[in-house]
Amino acid sequence: MKISEDTLKNISLLSKLEIEKSMKEKISKELESILLMVDQMNEVDTENVKPMSHPLSKAQNLREDLVSEDIERDEYIKNAPQSDDGYYLSPKVIDQK
Amino acid sequence: MNDIVSLNLEDQIGLLEKKEISSYELTSLYLENIKENKDLNCFISLNENALEQAKVIDNLKDRQSPVQGIPIAHKDIFCVKGHKTTCGSKMLENFISPYSSTVFEKLDNSKTIMLGKTNMDEFAMGSSNETSFFGKVKNPINPLKSPGGSSGGSAAAVKANLCAFATGTDTGGSIRQPASFCGITGIKPTYGRVSRWGMIAFASSLDQAGIFAKSALDSAIALEIISGFDEKDSTSINSKVPNLKEETISNMEHSIGVPMEIIEKIEDVNVKNNFLESIKILEKNGFKTKQIELPFLDYSLPSYYVIAPAECSANLSRYDGIKFGYRCDNPRDLEDLYVRTRSEGFGEEVKKRILIGTYCLSAGYFNAYYLKAQKIRAMITESFKNAFKNVSVIAMPTCSNGAFELGSIQDPVKMYEQDIYTIPANLAGLPAISIPSGYTEEMPLGLQFIGNHLEEGKILNISHQFQKLTDHHV
Amino acid sequence: MSEKTEYSDWEPVIGLEIHVQLSTESKIFSNAPTKFGIEQNSQASIIDLGLPGVLPVLNKKAIEMAVKFGCSINAEISNTAIFARKNYFYPDLPKGYQISQLDDPIVGQGSVEIECNEEKKLIGITRAHLEEDAGKSIHDKYDSSSAIDLNRAGTPLLEIVSEPDLRSAKEAVAYLKKIHSIVTFLDISDGDMSQGSLRCDANVSIRKKGESEFGFRTEIKNINSFKFVEKAINFEILRQIKIKNLNNEIEQETRLYDSQKNETRSMRSKEHANDYRYFPEPDLIPLQISNEYIENIRKSLPELPEQKISRFCSEYGLSIYESEILNSSKGMSNFFEKVAISVKDVKTAVKWILGDFSAILNKNNCLVEDSLISSSDLIDLLNCLYENKISGPAAKKVLEILWNEDLKVEEIIEKENLKQISNEDDISRIISEVISKNPKQLEQFKQGKEKLFGFFVGQVMKTTEGSADPKVVNKILKEKLNQ
Repeated sequence: MKISEDTLKNISLLSKLEIEKSMKEKISKELESILLMVDQMNEVDTENVKPMSHPLSKAQNLREDLVSEDIERDEYIKNAPQSDDGYYLSPKVIDQK
Repeated sequence: MNDIVSLNLEDQIGLLEKKEISSYELTSLYLENIKENKDLNCFISLNENALEQAKVIDNLKDRQSPVQGIPIAHKDIFCVKGHKTTCGSKMLENFISPYSSTVFEKLDNSKTIMLGKTNMDEFAMGSSNETSFFGKVKNPINPLKSPGGSSGGSAAAVKANLCAFATGTDTGGSIRQPASFCGITGIKPTYGRVSRWGMIAFASSLDQAGIFAKSALDSAIALEIISGFDEKDSTSINSKVPNLKEETISNMEHSIGVPMEIIEKIEDVNVKNNFLESIKILEKNGFKTKQIELPFLDYSLPSYYVIAPAECSANLSRYDGIKFGYRCDNPRDLEDLYVRTRSEGFGEEVKKRILIGTYCLSAGYFNAYYLKAQKIRAMITESFKNAFKNVSVIAMPTCSNGAFELGSIQDPVKMYEQDIYTIPANLAGLPAISIPSGYTEEMPLGLQFIGNHLEEGKILNISHQFQKLTDHHV
Repeated sequence: MSEKTEYSDWEPVIGLEIHVQLSTESKIFSNAPTKFGIEQNSQASIIDLGLPGVLPVLNKKAIEMAVKFGCSINAEISNTAIFARKNYFYPDLPKGYQISQLDDPIVGQGSVEIECNEEKKLIGITRAHLEEDAGKSIHDKYDSSSAIDLNRAGTPLLEIVSEPDLRSAKEAVAYLKKIHSIVTFLDISDGDMSQGSLRCDANVSIRKKGESEFGFRTEIKNINSFKFVEKAINFEILRQIKIKNLNNEIEQETRLYDSQKNETRSMRSKEHANDYRYFPEPDLIPLQISNEYIENIRKSLPELPEQKISRFCSEYGLSIYESEILNSSKGMSNFFEKVAISVKDVKTAVKWILGDFSAILNKNNCLVEDSLISSSDLIDLLNCLYENKISGPAAKKVLEILWNEDLKVEEIIEKENLKQISNEDDISRIISEVISKNPKQLEQFKQGKEKLFGFFVGQVMKTTEGSADPKVVNKILKEKLNQ
């Protein structure tokens, strides 16, 4: 599978990762070689096979609708790069009103 | 005195019980040894309160747990309240976790002493420990060699007697391959056996915590402590944890499945011969072996390299510079903040995997990659299911080679191939263990046993019996 | 060419996506509380913040509520509902993905009946699925930063997606009201649109009448009142007609409704942001919902508005019109029934609840749930009225005082001296006095000046300070004057 420049641009936009110009070729090549390995999957006939998203076949564990009040906001927010008055701060979002 | 740190867990427990040594003394010895072996770069951070905690434990009236007072190490993927938890990444270089993982808590409640947190490949992505933001770990047997990855710091720490045992995580072989490279025992239990709460996610449907120790028996003791249902992890299995120590030392009969088709394809003659010799030792001592087929196992690697990156691409989206972790300097706007934070905060291997995962999930590729990989995952799981109708455990090499030289593998696919024998157990969610089985070019090799769902006891038992017959682990 | 004729050539095609916040105590995947109006980020747990290593555990109650809704719209309930991650970056989306559902939603196809312009119509519901709400970004608090409050993050949402079966803004409103009444009667949401408990996106397209193909549609985001739904959709229909009449194409896009300007406008198009890369949430295994569980919920469903409307008609003798108004909200329905059960005359109760009582609520801009007059106060009042203890005008006065002061009906009657004299002997005695005091008027009356009857009534009322029962006064006065 060839990774076109457009594809690389698209996936880096989606994943919010920038690939430096000097790295583009190397990364493309590496991604291509990984996908080439991955493409071996096509040798397998998977017709009528049910996809498996999880190794467990049990039922999901659920919880009761109970509230716990052990929230330590000021403790959590210490890890924030930028905060004020209990708010997390991000650069101003312009396009949304 | 230095011999004490090289004793196995069982013996150390004996000394503590008989009060022939205190936890304080034992902890000091380990801390000294850690200092002396700084060059190995096994630890990302040390616990400054270790000695104090040991003192407190020494003052306890009675022993509340078998491992009380035992100094151990945690992979730096497990959140520990009030401690730095970096996951080997610049992204979390200064992250102080406000809560603790279940694995840490269980061991903490059992009165172990955390000596420190071990180095690892960034976000557990890597097979050589070279992707860590905090520098590579060296193999204690030969510092030019890789200790394996991603839990290389834990494996090397156990091997170099820097802790009594260590925790690790295994998504595609991250416990078993380093255990094999360092010549120790490493076990990854059944998916869901150990809670993933507080264990930083790489690929959620594959990640599982486990143990590095000097022997199968030591592993059994530690694994039993961290196992069990946890209501905080909805994928944790609600079933009773057996007495693993007892199961390990009991007299079990085994029928060992050997997938000859796969063995015959092994390129490295030493690896192949070592495996066949191990099987012979078992046969000679009365263990039944049986040829089995594991069709589609060749497609484990391709399937894994879709599923794991796909899951990681979402799991790592939370590192966006807003609520915690690294943030780039002077972002122009939100987009700039996202892109530079993530591009500067993640290392190359992590970025590569996010990109691959994003690609496989993106519009137009989902069916061809993600869904296809899931179908193959189902087929591989099915072939294990069939195999376990006839055998109690399956034997395979852990890795197709011994520890390689640091920096020697540059091709990502070559690096990924490190995990071809370990990945199948992750895909199927099965328990698997790696134990030392000999050497190739003076570096250890590992023998792997894979068990059926929730049958950790069986693989621990066969491993223990093998270790009684051999001295590779000593 | 008038706009009217142009309009009539086109048929709007509308579908709604309604987000309903479920009224669980704790969040959908964490045990943080879901209360409103708490200090910023103080009800965002480590799970809601998406800290490294945290895991979601699904709230049972959210499933129960979704299944309740599914049963009440006669939908298929999935036995193996799957959760999925919807990936996109936004500061108030802590994990960089939203846990939602794509394939195998918990509620499958169903339908509801609406009534619009006196016509009944079945509206298809494509699906309803569970998901987590995002937090809030506040853009006007700081000059150069947006402030992120994650209290709302993780609040359970049921997203209800309709078929494109709606053909006018009015129908859309009727449908939205229907969903609103279902979720409030089921008690799975407070349905408060002003608080965002119920939010609505509208998909709008137009096509020439008679055509079967759909046109390109636009999606109007986040409309937060019934009134705005109608206005936004009508604006959008007209906007699209104008474009079409100029032979231009509608652009498929997301638009925002600005209620102040009453217009929709394009949101910056995000070509790349639309690839959400859904995949099964690996932290949550598929749900297993047994048929037995579903049947138990179906059996224990509370009475829904339609059933209540007809029951009220047969049980309390209401007209359909009265019953519909009294069942327009769960609060009113419950209030009425509480009163109806204990009151001695239901007809009067209906008249008073729909009349003066509702008027007081409206005047004070108050929901019946928050009424300062309790149902038991109203029962007391209505029974006093029924027993002729007070007059109608006096009852009105009591009602006003009940709203403003913390007093019981009896106390008010006492304090304000509103007790009605209805004892015939007492009234008879008073009338005799009045007659004997006014011989002149009596004479004139007897000679045929019947207008003077009113004069005598007035005198009796004056003597009793208005507290005599007028019916009794009339009756006895007639007897006495005609003796």
